[in-house]
Order: sequence, then structure tokens, then C-alpha cells
Amino acid sequence: MAPWMSSGLIYASGLAMTAGSITLLYIVTRTFNFAVASMATIGFIVVYTGVSLYGGLPYQYYPFVLIIGAITGVICYYGLNRPLLYRKAAETTLMMSTLGYDLILLSLIQMYSDYLTYTFKLFPRRVTMSVFDFELYGESAATFILPITAIACLTILHFFLTKTKFGIAMRATIENPTLAGASGINSDRVYLVSWIISGSMAALGGSFMAMAMTGTPVMGMVTIPLMFAGAILGGLGNIYGGILGGMVIGLTEYAGVYFLAKQFGPWILGYRMGIPLFIMAATLLVFPRGLSGIPLGKIIKNLFGQKRGASA
Amino acid sequence: MLTVKNLNSGYGKLQVLYDLNIEVPEKGLTVVVGPNGAGKTTLLCSIMNIATVFSGEITFGGEPLTGVVTHKLAQKGISYVPQMGNVFAELTVLDNLHMAGYMLSKAEANDKAAQMTEIFPVLKKFIHRLAGTLSGGERRMLAIAMGLMKNPKLMLLDELSTDLAPIIAERVMVEVARMRDELGITILMVEQMARRALEIGDTAYLLVSGEVRYSGQADSLLHEPELCSMYLGIKQTAGKGGSAKLSVSDEGSENS
Repeated sequence: MAPWMSSGLIYASGLAMTAGSITLLYIVTRTFNFAVASMATIGFIVVYTGVSLYGGLPYQYYPFVLIIGAITGVICYYGLNRPLLYRKAAETTLMMSTLGYDLILLSLIQMYSDYLTYTFKLFPRRVTMSVFDFELYGESAATFILPITAIACLTILHFFLTKTKFGIAMRATIENPTLAGASGINSDRVYLVSWIISGSMAALGGSFMAMAMTGTPVMGMVTIPLMFAGAILGGLGNIYGGILGGMVIGLTEYAGVYFLAKQFGPWILGYRMGIPLFIMAATLLVFPRGLSGIPLGKIIKNLFGQKRGASA
Repeated sequence: MLTVKNLNSGYGKLQVLYDLNIEVPEKGLTVVVGPNGAGKTTLLCSIMNIATVFSGEITFGGEPLTGVVTHKLAQKGISYVPQMGNVFAELTVLDNLHMAGYMLSKAEANDKAAQMTEIFPVLKKFIHRLAGTLSGGERRMLAIAMGLMKNPKLMLLDELSTDLAPIIAERVMVEVARMRDELGITILMVEQMARRALEIGDTAYLLVSGEVRYSGQADSLLHEPELCSMYLGIKQTAGKGGSAKLSVSDEGSENS
């Protein structure tokens, strides 16, 4: 497998999780969660702490990533989002409050990084997490494990939203909060669960991304434009669209850099973030409602219809 | 059963209802009629704690409702069927019924959903279809069925006949009367199709600009020619032998 493809798949899996996290929270609580940046960094920090202090593979620390990600989500919900939602705060206020929370988390991450350095002589400010990985069929194991994990998470999320009573109640609340409340569904609980899922997804996404890029305490801050680009490309109204958008953004960044650098030289690497953002803008010009707005069913129907028509 | 005393409410800082007093007797059908913008929907939204209550008292079976969060009102046996957005369009008919019976156990919800498909056979045919694909009349039937899923003591119905063809609207009205007569449910119904609503109702309130202009027997309001003609678009014409005849002068306000 080409190196860009291997790293691209790992990175795109992480970006898909973070973009899905942004989308889920937006459609449930109308909140653009900027804190997804630090939540993602926390994912990396948890795995790094685990492998550095206790050894083993990065993957065995993912359950802790999920738990700590969920806790950061719960704190943000009860500390900021819930009081503002109940005061019927505007979307801008909700968004800016998460930026404040992100800065608090960022400070805590920096302090924790210093603690690791001074106490354990660890240096989490420039980490290549892939050195803790193992090889599988001549490739980094993450190339296979992380996309599969991302798909498994998506499948579990899909099952939760379509087959469980609470998941269907979440979809009902997303669609019509007033009717959901009148039906006896506690929207407060729905919001809390969406923060738990969203925090877990963001932290897990960050731990995935650190397997393809240099892990730093500000890695979330650096990649947040792409996380949002993924969510926006997905259409912002559909969780699956957000996940797909993140995947597309991640893969196009790696593929674009590889092919353009081959063509024009390595100087293009400095503009790597521009490539997926350009693709996002171009896609939105053609499909203003993002990837989830593409009438795939209609396109397939037309294609098949044409084929049938041609053969007739 | 439901008492509204000196209610002042609205949305945000905008006041819509002024010192409203309404009494909904048990197992009766209380009808609230009035022109557009009278505050009929706001009354229901105030009861459901969706609108802002500035002052006044709302009690249900003697228990205060003011300030009680919406999902807890459902637990108290109050069922609300809104005028718009009264089904979850992106869920199947079966999921809609299950969501409406959210507080019931799985077995209870299944039994109740089966019962609803018996009462409304049209739903049985479309049980696995998305509610958004149903016709207006079918959606309204689903909305009523969802309201009944909770075994309600009190149902609040908001303009069920809006946007329906007259024949479908009539069918909906028949179902409402049946809920009172056969299931013994107390109903507070806000309605634009005033004449038909007053014919089937027991008690009526005429709301104009957020204030009660008439309260009393529902059919008696039909014999108030001035109020009927001015606010409800119903004109009374003298029939043969001097008997009063009702006619609809303004189609828009009757069953648009």
C-alpha cells in the first residue's frame, strides 16, 4: 500500500470520528463544539500516558480514551451548555462558550504535559505514536485496525440510533423537540447522552489521528479547521454525512499532497490544509447541502434507468 | 379537571393571553374557538409549559402545572397533539407510536400500538412506512393515535382539521367525539372549523385578542348571531317558518 494511502486512512478515520462528533452535537443541541479540538488532544494524551508509563499497545488504552472523552463532554454539558440551553441562548453564544471551555482544556493539557515531563521525564510535545504500533502484512497495524474500529463505532452508533428505544428517542428529539417533550421524552437526558457520545468520539478520533501525525498538546487546535470542514462537507444535518465528510477531507489531504508534491515539488507541503478546504468549497458549490444532500438514490436510479433504456 | 385562572402568558416578552379563566370539566369536550391570532394555540402551549407563563395558575386535578417541565406533564396523563409537526416525519408509523408511548414498558407499548391500529385501521397498512410519507389525513389519524398511546386523562388537541379536505376533517371530528363518548377522555380542543366543533362540543370558549368573549354551552354559542358572524365567520339566516339556519360565510375561517 502506498504510504500516503496508509497514513491517509488512519488520519481520515480519526477526522471522520471528530467530524461526526461535531455534527451529532450540532443537530442535537445547536452547539458548534470548538472544544472538540482539546477533546481530540486528550485522546492522544491518554494513549501516550498509557503506553509510556505502563507499556503495551496504543489500542488497549482506547476504553480509557472513551471514558475520559465522555467525562469531558459531561463536564461541558453541565458546566456550560445546559445552563445556556435552558436560558435559550443564541447559537453564537453556545459556540463561543465551547471555545472558552476549549481554552480551559488546552491549559489543563499543557499543565499535564509539564507534569509528565517534570515527574516522569516524558516529552509529550512532539510524539510519533506510530513507533508504539506493530506491523501487520508489512504495514502499520493501525492501517487496518483504525478504519475497522471507525466502521465498528459507526455501526454501533447506527444500531443505537435505529434499534434502541433511547436511540430512537434521540432521533425524535433531534427532529421535533417539542413533540418529543410532549411524548414524555426527557430532552435533558438526550442532550447529556449526545455530549457523552460526542466527547467519546472526539477523544477517540484524536487518538487515531495521533497515529498518523505528530502528537502535540496543540494537535487538536491545528486540525480543528479540518474537523469542521468534514462536518460542513457532510451537510451538518446528518451524523453519517459528517463521518463521511471527515473521511473525504482526511483522504483528500493525504492524496492531494502526495500527487501535487509529485507534480510540483515538495514546497506544496506547506499548503497541505488548503487542499481539502478547496475540495470542501468546490463540493459545496455543486451540492450546497453537502454530501448528505447528494440524491444518491436518484442518481443510481437514473443510471440504472438509462442503462435499461439503452439496452432496450 | 383542568382549571386555568387569571392566566397571562405569551412568548418571550410578548404577551398574548390576558387574565384568561377556563374550566375544563371531566370527561367532557371543551372547545376553544376564535379568529386567527386570538391566542388559542398559546393557551395549549401555556398548559404544556412551551409558552412563557407570566402570571396566573393552571391546575390539573387540583395539582399545580405551572413550571412543570413538558415531559413530566406527559407522565401526569396530559396528552398534547400540536397543530403542526404532530408526528415524527423521519420515523416509521410504528416508531412514532412507540415514541408516543415512551413511558410505557415495551410489552405495554406493543399492546397499545396494536390497539391503535385496531382503532385506526389505516395505520395498520402503513405501519412500517415513514410518517413523512403519509397523507395529511393519515398523519392526523396517526397524531391522534399517538395522543391516545399514553392512556391520557386529558387530551389537548390543536386545530386538528387544519389543511384537511372537508370530508377528512369531518372524519377527524367524528374520531374526537368518539374518544370522549367511548373512551371517556377529557378533551380540550382548539379549532378553526368552528361550526362543527361547536356541534360536537359540550362547553365552549370564544377567544378574541387573548381574552374570553364567551363561555358557556357549546351549542348555545351557535345561537349568538353577532359573535358567530363577527368572529367565527358563521352567519345565521332566517329559514322557512322563521327558524334560524346556519351557513358559512367565510370559507377561509371555517375549513381552510
